[in-house]
Formats: sequence, C-alpha cells, structure tokens
Amino acid sequence: MRLDVRYRTTFLYNGLVRESHNELRACPASDDRQQLIAYRVSVSPSARALAFTDYWGTRVDAIGVREPHDVLEIVAEAAVETGRRRPIVASPTFEDLKDPAFVDLHSEYLAPTRHTEWGRSILTQAERLRELNGPDVVRTVLALHGLVGARLSYTPGSTTIGIGVEDVLAGGKGVCQDYAHLAVALCRSISIPARYVSGYLFTSNDATGEEVQDGAVARVQTHAWFEAAIPGFGWFPLDPTNRTEVAARHVKIGHGRDYDDVPPLRGLYSGTSVPHVDASVEIRRMDATRVPTTTVQPPTPRAVESRRRQEAQQQQQQQQ
Amino acid sequence: MTHGFFDGYLTEDFFDEAFEADGAPRPHYRQLIERFTNLGEDDIRHRRQLGEDVFKARGITFTVYGEHEDIERTWPMDLFPRIIPASEWEVIERGLAQRVTALNRFLDDIYVGEQAAINDGIVPRWLITSSSGFEREAVNIPVPNGARCLVAGIDLVRDRDGIYRVLEDNIRNPSGISYVLENRAAMMKVLPAAFREHRVRPVDQYGRALLRALRNVAPPAAGDSPTVAVLTPGAYNSAYFEHAFLARQMGVELVEGRDLVVDDHVVYMRTTGGLQRVDVLYRRIDDAFLDPVVFRNDSTVGVPGLMAALRAGTISIANAAGNGVGDDKAVYAYVPELIKYYLGEEAIIPNATTYLLWDPDQRKHVLDRLDQLVVKPVAESGGYGIVIGPKASDEELAVVRHNILTDPRNYIAQEVVSLSRSPSFTDDGLAGRHIDLRPFVLTGDRVEVIPGGLTRVAMRAGSLVVNSSQGGGSKDTWVLAPIDQPIDVAVDGDDVPEAELV
Amino acid sequence: MLARHAESLFWAGRYLERAEGTARLLDVTYQGSLQVAGGEGRDAWAHVLDVLQARKEFDRRGRTLDEGAVCTFLVTDRSNPGSIVSGVATARENFRTVREHLSSEMWENVNGFHLDLQARNIAADLTGEPYALYDLVKVRCQTLGGVAAQSMPRDETYSFLRLGWMIERALITCRLLNVNYASLGHDDYDAMLLTLRSASALEAYRRSFQSSTNPTHIAAFLLQSRSFPRSVLFCLQRAEHSLENLAGPSTSRNRAQRILGRIRSQLEFTDIAEFVTGDVHATLDALEQSICDIADVVANQYFRVGSEYALQSQYVLPGEAMV
Repeated sequence: MRLDVRYRTTFLYNGLVRESHNELRACPASDDRQQLIAYRVSVSPSARALAFTDYWGTRVDAIGVREPHDVLEIVAEAAVETGRRRPIVASPTFEDLKDPAFVDLHSEYLAPTRHTEWGRSILTQAERLRELNGPDVVRTVLALHGLVGARLSYTPGSTTIGIGVEDVLAGGKGVCQDYAHLAVALCRSISIPARYVSGYLFTSNDATGEEVQDGAVARVQTHAWFEAAIPGFGWFPLDPTNRTEVAARHVKIGHGRDYDDVPPLRGLYSGTSVPHVDASVEIRRMDATRVPTTTVQPPTPRAVESRRRQEAQQQQQQQQ
Repeated sequence: MTHGFFDGYLTEDFFDEAFEADGAPRPHYRQLIERFTNLGEDDIRHRRQLGEDVFKARGITFTVYGEHEDIERTWPMDLFPRIIPASEWEVIERGLAQRVTALNRFLDDIYVGEQAAINDGIVPRWLITSSSGFEREAVNIPVPNGARCLVAGIDLVRDRDGIYRVLEDNIRNPSGISYVLENRAAMMKVLPAAFREHRVRPVDQYGRALLRALRNVAPPAAGDSPTVAVLTPGAYNSAYFEHAFLARQMGVELVEGRDLVVDDHVVYMRTTGGLQRVDVLYRRIDDAFLDPVVFRNDSTVGVPGLMAALRAGTISIANAAGNGVGDDKAVYAYVPELIKYYLGEEAIIPNATTYLLWDPDQRKHVLDRLDQLVVKPVAESGGYGIVIGPKASDEELAVVRHNILTDPRNYIAQEVVSLSRSPSFTDDGLAGRHIDLRPFVLTGDRVEVIPGGLTRVAMRAGSLVVNSSQGGGSKDTWVLAPIDQPIDVAVDGDDVPEAELV
Repeated sequence: MLARHAESLFWAGRYLERAEGTARLLDVTYQGSLQVAGGEGRDAWAHVLDVLQARKEFDRRGRTLDEGAVCTFLVTDRSNPGSIVSGVATARENFRTVREHLSSEMWENVNGFHLDLQARNIAADLTGEPYALYDLVKVRCQTLGGVAAQSMPRDETYSFLRLGWMIERALITCRLLNVNYASLGHDDYDAMLLTLRSASALEAYRRSFQSSTNPTHIAAFLLQSRSFPRSVLFCLQRAEHSLENLAGPSTSRNRAQRILGRIRSQLEFTDIAEFVTGDVHATLDALEQSICDIADVVANQYFRVGSEYALQSQYVLPGEAMV
C-alpha cells in the first residue's frame, strides 16, 4: 500500500536552550518489501539537516540548532510503498545455524547487547520451545514470537529505557521495544541471529494493532519489532506486540543489534531545563483501494510486485 | 668485562646492546664506552645530576597512577644512550614503513572499502565486528590520502638472538615523542662531546613533519593554509605535557572540547576575535570521548557535532576514528598476513610469536604452559593487565586461566621475549636493564619514520615492564647516519613556522 | 587568543588585585584598631567586608563579626573564593592554563607566591602579628604587576590581564570611598587617614592637599586624580588603553569601548563640588554599577563567543512519548 507518514517530535523546555545536536532516524528504508518514494525533514527553529547512511544502512539526519529556543520541533514526512515479504520456502534446521559462514556473517546479531542481555529464565524458555518445535528453525522462531505476545501485556509506562530483558519477562509488562528486545534475546540465546527493527505501524491503536477504517488517519507512536535470520532465506520479520506477521501495514525505518543502534531521535541540548517530549505519528493511506489482510492480491498491483508474487507462487508449487 | 668503568658489567644470558657475549664492546659503542671510561665516576655522577636538574627545571614530568594517589614524577632518563648503527636502522625503517602502510590500507579497506580482507578470508569478520576498537560511526567516512594512522608508535623488542620483533602496534593515540625530543635536548646539554664523536641523526624536525602531515589530511576546501589545532582533554590528563609541547612545536593552538563549537556542521574555535574555523584537529582524545552526540553521551571533553562535521567533509581529524580495530592485539597477530595481502611482501620485521585463544588447539597449548607465557588483554595499553607467566603468582595465573576460559576473544598469549639489555645507571651501579623501542612513524604525503624513538627501560632488576607509568625509565636513542650521507637537513621549503625546541 | 584563555587572564588580574586590596585594608584596619577600642572597632571590620562586597557571604556563615572571624574569612577561608588564599590559588591556576602566553618570570612569580602562602602558618599570623603576612601579599602582588609591566609585550595577554586588574582596582577604590564617606564629613582626621591609607594614597594626597580633611578633596583625589595610580579615573583610563590595544587599528569603537569611554568621561567631567552636595552614595552606587556593567560587556564581547554550556541528553522511545 502507498502510505504517507508524518512523524513529529516536539521538545518543550522549561527554560532557554541555546544549543542542541540531534540525530533523527525516521526515514523509511527501501528493501525487498518497501520502496521509499519521498522524504523530507523540517526543523523549527530552522536548521540544516545533514543526511547520511549509518553502518546499519539507516538514513540519518544530523540536526544542529544553535539559536536560542524553548521549543524544538522536528518533522519528518515520508511517502512509501509497502508490501508483503516474500514467502519462506526453506526449512532449515538448527544444524544449518552452525554453518561457519552463516555464523560469521551474522556474528553481530548473535551476541547479547545492553538491551538484550539474557539470563537463566530466557534461556530456559527458549530451550523449551526449541525442544518442542525443533529442529525446524522457522517454527521455533514463530513459537518464540508467540511466547513474547503471550507473556507480556502492553502497558505504557511500566518500563524505562534501561530495563534488562530478564526483568521485562519477569514483570510481564512492556511496550513495543520491550517486546522486540525480548524476542531478540530469546532467539539469540539459542543461536538464532536476530535484530531489532524500528518503524511505523499503520494502525488505529498502538496497543492492539488493529486496522484502520477506510479513509481514516492513523495517529500513533513509532513502533518496534524484530527480524530473525533464517538460513537459506534471509531475514524473517515478525511483530510480537501485535502478534502478527509483518506486512504492508508495517513501514520499516531500519534495524540494529538493539534500540541503541536505531533510536528514532536522540540528541544533546544545553542547559538545565527539563524537556517535555511530545511525539506523534500520523499515517494516511494514499492508494484508493483497501488491502485486506488475506492473501488476495491488491486490485492494482505495480508491475514489479505482480511479477514477484507470480514467482513466489511458482516456488511454492515446485516445493509441493 | 675489562673496560675500567665497565668492570664487572655482566651481559648474562641476554642480548646486550653494547657488549658481545664475550665481553667485547660492539663496534658502534666503542667510542662511547671509551668516553665513559675516561670520564670517571665523579664526572658521571655530576652529569647524571645535571640531567635530572634539566628535566626538573623544565617541569618535565609524567604521572604514575597508584592505588591511593597519582604521583607526578620527574621524567627519568638514563645517561647511557642506545645506539643503532645505520645498517640496522635501514632495515627497521623499511619494516616500519611497510607495516604502517599495510595498517593504513587495512583500516581504509574496513571503513570505506570493500572489506576485501574479510571477504577474502584473511581476517575473520567476527574478529573485526567484535573488536572494541571497531567504530561503526567511522564507517563510510573517508580520510584524505587514506592517512588513518597519521601518527603511529610501533613497539619493538629485540630477542635473545638480537632480532627485532614487533611487540605491539599503537595507532590510536601513541604518546612519547615529546620525551624523545626532550631526552635529546637534555643529552646534548649533558654529553655534548659525545655528539661530536658520533654522527647522530637529529629528531627535532618532528614538529615540522607533524604539521606537514596534518596539513596533508586537510579537507580540499580548506585551501593552502589549513588551520590546525591540537585537541586535549585538559591539564588533568597524564599526557597533557606532550599535548602542550606539540602544539608549541607546531605553532598551533591547543584547545579543549569547550573551546570548540560546531555550527552548521563546521567546527570553530571560540576566540576573542570571534569564531575561527578549524580544518584539521590533532585529537589526543579517545574515540569514546570524542563526540557525546554519537559516542559516550557523558563525555565532557569532546565536541558535540564533531562527527557530523567529519561526515560533512568540513574537517579532518588525526588519527582517524576507529583505528582501535587495527591495534587490537588480536588483530596484531594477523598483521604479517595483511602485509602479504595488501603489499605482496613478506613482513620485514616479524611479530613476537603469538597465540590466539579462541582457537581451541592454541588455547589448550597456552593453558598447558600458562606459567611460561605472557598473557595480554587485547584492548589495553600502557602495559596494564599484562601477566608474565614466569613472574606471576599462582593466584594471578588462576585468574588469567579463568579469564581465558570465559572470554577467549579478548586475550592473546605470547612467548616471553627475552628482551635485550642495555647498560644503565641503577641504584646498584652500572648494570644491564631490559629495554624496548617505540619508533614513531608519520603518514603524510609519504610514510616517514623518525630516526630512533623512545627507548624505555625497565629499571627494576630483572623486570620486563618498561612502561613509564609503572616505574620505567628511558634512554636517548641515537641512530647513526650512514658514512656516505650527510646528516639530515631541513626538508623542502614549506612556509612552516620555525619550531624551536623550547 | 582562545576566549577561555582571555577570561582566565582577566580573572587572574581581578583576583590578584583583590588579594592586594584585601591585605592593605586588613593591615590598615588592624593598625587603626590598635588605638581604638569597643564599638568603633567593630564597625571598622564591618566596613572592610563592605568595601570588598563580602558582607553577605560573611553573614551567611553565621559567625560573630569580630576581627578574628573577618580576618580568617578574608584571608584563609578556602570556601570563600574571594579570600586571599583562594584568590591567589585561582590566579595561579589560571596562569597555568595560559602558561604558553606568559613569560617564565610571571609564572615563577605567581607560582612562588602561591607556594609561599601554602607553606605559611596563616592562623598563627592572624592570631599573632599579621604585618609580615600582609606585607608579603602586598609585595608579591606589586612585584607581579612590575614583572608584567617589564617583561610582557603589550599584546592580548597583557591587555586582558591589565583590564581585569584595573577594573577590580577601580571597583575597590569606589567602594572604599562609598563605605567611608559617612565618616569623612566631620573633620575626622583618623577617618581621613584610614580611608587614604587603605588606598595607599596618604603620601600622594598630602602632596596635593596636605592635611585637609575636607571630603571634597578626598573624593576628588580618589575619584579624579590623573596622576595617582589608584584613583578610579586613572584605572578607567588604563582600562580604556587596554581595550584600545585589544580592538586593534580599527577606527570605530566597539561596544565595550563606547560604554567605558562614556563612563570615564562622565567621571572626568563631574563637578566635585556638585557631587558632594548631592546624594553621594547614590552617585557612587551608580558608578560602581557602571564599572560592573563594563565587566559584563567585556565578557559578552570577548569571552562568551558562541556560547558553551554543559549538554544533557534527550531521546525518544518508540511506543511512548516519554523521555
């Protein structure tokens, strides 16, 4: 689907800020599921944004503001075309995960990081699910994904940025980045490479992820999910917060080892004022027809998408 | 030993810089030994005191970090210099230039290139990506002329057979050149006659050479006269003396993070005449503290927005960000392979024999011989964390064993190199003490090796630890000019300010 | 030069002048107290605090206002940044950061001064005979001034140092007159002596005005003398020279120059007869405020270039609009 995204962040300070340096990661990626059409950043007070691509392939805008201000507003506007991921036709086993070339290629996504440091409980859960679903890696990943959704309830304000992922599991509550970090930790604990994804979800409700009614505008926050590396296939995205597959309603910004590698916005500001942050995302669907969540193809597919779907269908037939 | 003053001096079982095994002085030391013998004890004592006074008067100190307090000591220089004949130096020079060239190519490959060395299996990918020195923020930021190791300090040791080996590479913030220059200045005051008898190659062109190299990496937009500044963390840093010294030698401003401001992705100095643009920053601050927006956000010594300016191409820094992946001691083991890969040559100066502890066979071998080997953490400097098997207690070895088993990626082991010794003036009279050598290599429009370098001395009898922060001393290092060549004169006429040895 | 270095030099100048002024005030007051007893004595010590604008700071410590407490506070109290010991330590630290810009003589002098103070048993001096201590401070400060004048080229380094020195001296002289003026109107010889000695002005005053206790003469001398180096006018003129040096060959004056020039000429052309018949304290308060304003303008012009502040981090989390 064709989506227009408007991500606005406003910092309201209770004093005068004279200098601030920020990095914005808000631009939709272009990959095998998405195509960025247009992107623009505006800042008030006005400042030039320096655009570059970081190590993880995410588009970054470096914004430095050097005039005194008590409000900083950063608006990112993007137009993006999204679709479904290609189907998984491989069924690798846990033995395939041990292939040295595979391990070497994904080494950065196998190690624990600040937000994905697993301990006993997580490892136990992951091993249990591997017992039940192995040696099929894809089934195991789906089971891990399901576990996260089952064990956590979406509760804004229940966690803070520094919380350990073991504590998230123990507490049973969290928001989307906690869900994502837990899923990543579960996968990594049993040597499945996994990475954190930052993006937007075209939904009318952050908590449930339900669809947007025709013509309505989605007013949400930024979103997070995860991807697991499947030998012979590539990266398999899943959304544990909403317990769904990642499809056309998901707009990916970028990925990394965890939140620290792909924060939507981070920066420094001068002075002692405390900022009040107000961030919101508005998403509108720009193509005329509604895409149902079944496998029915959209009525006006682009030539490329159409060809891809045909190829995918052919693949499935050969497998049978 | 028959030479009067050197009567009773023993080389024992070590390679001695000044004496052969049979006690005869090596040819290039003969004149010096003669001179010392003729001076006599009183004169020598007087000159040693003179040397100490010179350093004290000039306030040349360094900080020894202790358990309870940090102590500032006057810089210790031993009166007996180290002499390297021209033929020996010629090989060392070529070997160092070769090594630094390969390291520059490697870093450029990793950060802006195709990562060919990884793709062609020369080094494992995970070794690079798991290195604490690998800076993802530096990826895709090019450095003019690929001069990432603008200043390199390659530590050399000499084994029992007199063969020079590289012990470690220091390509992040190598320090010590100021002591090289101060040692030379002091020696010229204390033993001037000896200089007349030897054709010692000068080192005082360093400031000029460094400035030239720094200007060489300026962004193209900077024009003919790029503004260079030295960035220091401040007076509380143990190497502050050197930062101030080098700024003075080059005639450029010494700044701290708070003197700089980034506006519209350009870096400026805050001066009484307004904001003055900076084109090249010789930054003596670790990567982690360089820019709080991108690295450690609690850093108060860095420059917010510096990395963005670097990306915008409005400023260059030296040394480049991310060099730590090149002086990671685990990567050190691969350098001879990298030399072969990038230059198609065999390494002229070999490594010390090194074992990689993530390889199960090598690890077993090491654990079986732990009390005979040296174990080093891969990312430390200054000699910290090193355990020397033969000297370690059982407890220390147990800790090391545990570390290796739990975190093998972060340790290497090496055969103990029986370091060469040099006659040194100790509390027990003239005796052999172990030494090493840190030559300095500059990468400007070409790779330039400074003649000599810092010879560090382990002052405690039998000790192999030479680092000044742990009680080591130093010696002036004389590289002799070849007979048929004039001693180096000032290089091509740039309009570089005449830096005096202050 | 770096803005930070200029600021260090400026404040070093101010602290050194303040140390000398403090020593002189305490010395004179001590001598005066030897011949005076009771309530008057207490006032004299309170006046010292007022001249140095340290009264509020002192009161905050909640101690009784007597000679011992005041002297300790002004000489040796490390928690008081304006005390002699603190001020000299700060000046020395500031000199250390700009050492490249100073002659080795300057550095060695201020370093030696600081070390001498550290080594001294000041508590013993203050309970016993403080002359030697006050003399030491006065002589060392004067020596520094002399070394600066003799060995330093008249560049930015010298100009900022002298600017700080002169502004502090002008302020202290102004306050000295302000605080003591009330006691000068009654033909009080002792009051005249105290005031003039506190500014090291007695002998020079006598050459112009002999033993006159006329407050008009005293005010004229301390405010407007063109020849006496501690008069407010003299200090402002020297400060103007420093600003001229800093501004360089440009023909138009910058803001600091304009403001200082205005204040200096106002003072220069003040009719002293009118001054003494008007509200003296209000006029002197205004003059003092003007001098402080100059210091502020200088700071804005030269030190606060491209503001520098400690930075805090801010970030946005997905799913929650909370920091």
